[in-house]
Amino acid sequence: MKEFNIVLAGVGGQGTLLAAEALGTAAVKDGLNVRVSEIHGMAQRGGAVVTTVRIGDTVHASTVFEGRADVLLGFEPIETVRNLKYCSEKTLVIMNTEKIPPTELASKNLKYPSIEKIARDIGLFTKKIAQIDAAELARKAGNSLTQNVVLLGALAGTGILPLKKQSLIKAIGELVPAKYAEINLKAFELGRHSMEKGKEA
Amino acid sequence: MPEKRVLLLGNEAIARGILEAGVSVVTTYPGTPASEIGDSISEIASEAGLYMEYSVNEMVAVEVAAGAANSGVRSLTAMKHVGLNVAADFVMTLAYTGVRGGYVIVTADDPECYSSQNEQDNRFYALLSNLPCLEPSDPQEAKDMTVSAIEISEKLELPVLLRTTTRVSHTRGPVTYGNLEKAKSQGQFIRDLKRLNMVPAFSRPKHTVLLRQAAKAKEISETSPYNKVVRKGTEIGIISSSSAYNYAVEAADLLNLDAGILKLGMTHPLPERKIIDFLNQYDKAVIVEELEPFLEMQIKAMAKDHAPNVKIYGKMDTEFFPREGELSTRLVGEGLAKITAKPMPIDIRKIDEKYAETKKDLPSRPPILCAGCPHRASFYVIRKVGGDKTLYPTDIGCYALGISPPLNVGDLMICMGASVGTAQGIRKATGKDTIAIIGDSTFFHAAIPGLVNAVYNNSKIVVAVLDNQTTAMTGHQPHPGTGLTGMGSPGEKVLVEKVAEGCGTKYVKVVDPFKTREASAVLKEALKQPGPSVVVFRSPCTLMDLREKRRRGIKATPAKITDKCTNCMACIKLLACPAIGVEEGKAVINDAFCTGCGLCISVCPYGAIQGSCAE
Repeated sequence: MKEFNIVLAGVGGQGTLLAAEALGTAAVKDGLNVRVSEIHGMAQRGGAVVTTVRIGDTVHASTVFEGRADVLLGFEPIETVRNLKYCSEKTLVIMNTEKIPPTELASKNLKYPSIEKIARDIGLFTKKIAQIDAAELARKAGNSLTQNVVLLGALAGTGILPLKKQSLIKAIGELVPAKYAEINLKAFELGRHSMEKGKEA
Repeated sequence: MPEKRVLLLGNEAIARGILEAGVSVVTTYPGTPASEIGDSISEIASEAGLYMEYSVNEMVAVEVAAGAANSGVRSLTAMKHVGLNVAADFVMTLAYTGVRGGYVIVTADDPECYSSQNEQDNRFYALLSNLPCLEPSDPQEAKDMTVSAIEISEKLELPVLLRTTTRVSHTRGPVTYGNLEKAKSQGQFIRDLKRLNMVPAFSRPKHTVLLRQAAKAKEISETSPYNKVVRKGTEIGIISSSSAYNYAVEAADLLNLDAGILKLGMTHPLPERKIIDFLNQYDKAVIVEELEPFLEMQIKAMAKDHAPNVKIYGKMDTEFFPREGELSTRLVGEGLAKITAKPMPIDIRKIDEKYAETKKDLPSRPPILCAGCPHRASFYVIRKVGGDKTLYPTDIGCYALGISPPLNVGDLMICMGASVGTAQGIRKATGKDTIAIIGDSTFFHAAIPGLVNAVYNNSKIVVAVLDNQTTAMTGHQPHPGTGLTGMGSPGEKVLVEKVAEGCGTKYVKVVDPFKTREASAVLKEALKQPGPSVVVFRSPCTLMDLREKRRRGIKATPAKITDKCTNCMACIKLLACPAIGVEEGKAVINDAFCTGCGLCISVCPYGAIQGSCAE
């Protein structure tokens, strides 16, 4: 299998690490080779976080080469832009539209960049953009903290993931606390349907 | 039974290796990127029948473990790279006494300083101490090499270093399990002064013994399966280790190079014959390694006599690979492209240009103190009392984030415990008010001798201990002040204020940082003392507190901004709390982030914020 690279970009506390671990766990369940990169400690305290998942026999390094992401899964609009260097015209960008304004905006009296500007920036790299209101879907599922799983569902819904849907669902079930398993499954399905609908449109 | 293959973090894989090697004593002081080794063991220690402790610092951690290893049981100590500086005094002479049970020191280096104050290359400790060193490149090797390192240690009766980097410790990958080995927990200490008591008369001959064992280690390295030619090629030879190896393989593929690759997993002592044989197959060889030219210097020295016609490229000549920072497939690819005069297949310049364009006005998002963090309250008080004229040497922990505006506290930061020592020199040289900022875990780790020094030499400094009742930055590990042990059992609670008093500090006070008026009054008084004083700002880490409250079903009540708000923005200008933002020119509290700590209520000059407040 050719390598498949996923870049997950967000803010510390959004659950990017859990999402990446779920993808990695699913890959192992499917008997695939995989590497997941993480950054802990100082980098996590509400700061920008990027984690990568690379699947395929030829994969050695856990980090992704510039321009070689198959998918950029943006958990937050500004963080999506911050990681565009991993994108080419072949990359699919899935972006959560829920904003987390960086603290410096308030203290420097700056405005959050408009979604149009952000879409334009992404457009410099790729035309394949899917925007998703993961916060709304997560609330619908029953807990706003499940945005990460909504996004995993959306990623699965695109159909380009070289993983079995069931393996991913199983991996999520193993990683979230048992009492939240049902809400997370719902979040996953809501994310998945939103993307499948989007494809039809 | 079919082989079990699971996704593990490099550090979890080392923990698995600990179980497969039958290690029975594990010690650590938490530090990114090494923390999950100890944490994983702590979770299962009593069930697995081994002893685990969070030691007070890395020096004590190696002493405890080496004491056990010298009593014949297998032991391991895990730490971040700079931890080995703390432990070095002991380790350098432990190389002389050696060990009886296998003993491994895991040192996790941090290229790129993701969570560290420097990016030293700890392979030089292997060279300095003459101890063997293994370098895994992925989680599978991290597990396997942990087992091998214990075996090599036992065979040579020497401690062995296992050096990882952030990208090994914090990469997840598939790991195939081996069999578990039952730990032998009962040891026996055999008295042998000549071997174990390093007075000069005994240490001199032990240096000779160490060198003899190092020569044996070199033979192990020559035949080690971890030092192997993983790919044959004709165009160029590449020698690499650790995460750098991963980049080298992928970069060679990217450039379509017909490269031979010698992968080194045991990097001290180096397998000289294997390296020379490999070098002599090529006209050109490239050493790809992360941080210092550790392999390159040694390989060039070997080649001078044994492979003089091979042109060796590395990072001593900075034209090809950077010496600082972490490598990447891109950096290694660019270096190899220059050396082989082949073009990079991806137009990176174009990506860089577009990326620079999109990044131009992008707001930054550095790590910050969490909403509700008690350190924000402490810094607000310290800043208010000390102002601009006071000097603030600081220390290692979450509170290092106090340097961000508007808190602006943290003028000098070097290493664990250094705030207290440096404060004394600053005070001496400037005569200015000096407040040393230090956390609770860091206080126990390395500040006590500094405090004793301040008392003894009557240095008029204030030590502000920001006590959040945990080792927060590395993942909430317990420490002596928490009264919990690594085994999960209750231990004796050591109180910072009692230690400070015991050291002879005359003025010691404990305050709640959220009671800002009271805390300010105490800090003012502390600054007026004729000698050193200690003020403990005690309030639990908000992440830990929230988790505990969630468990008990208690919901946070966010603060509310009322009509009395005049848009003066004092809350934002004074606190920069991530839960307070601006919408349409008005300060607004984000309910999703607000923990209801009440600090903004204390600082609002118009009493315009409602909610519960500690004052």
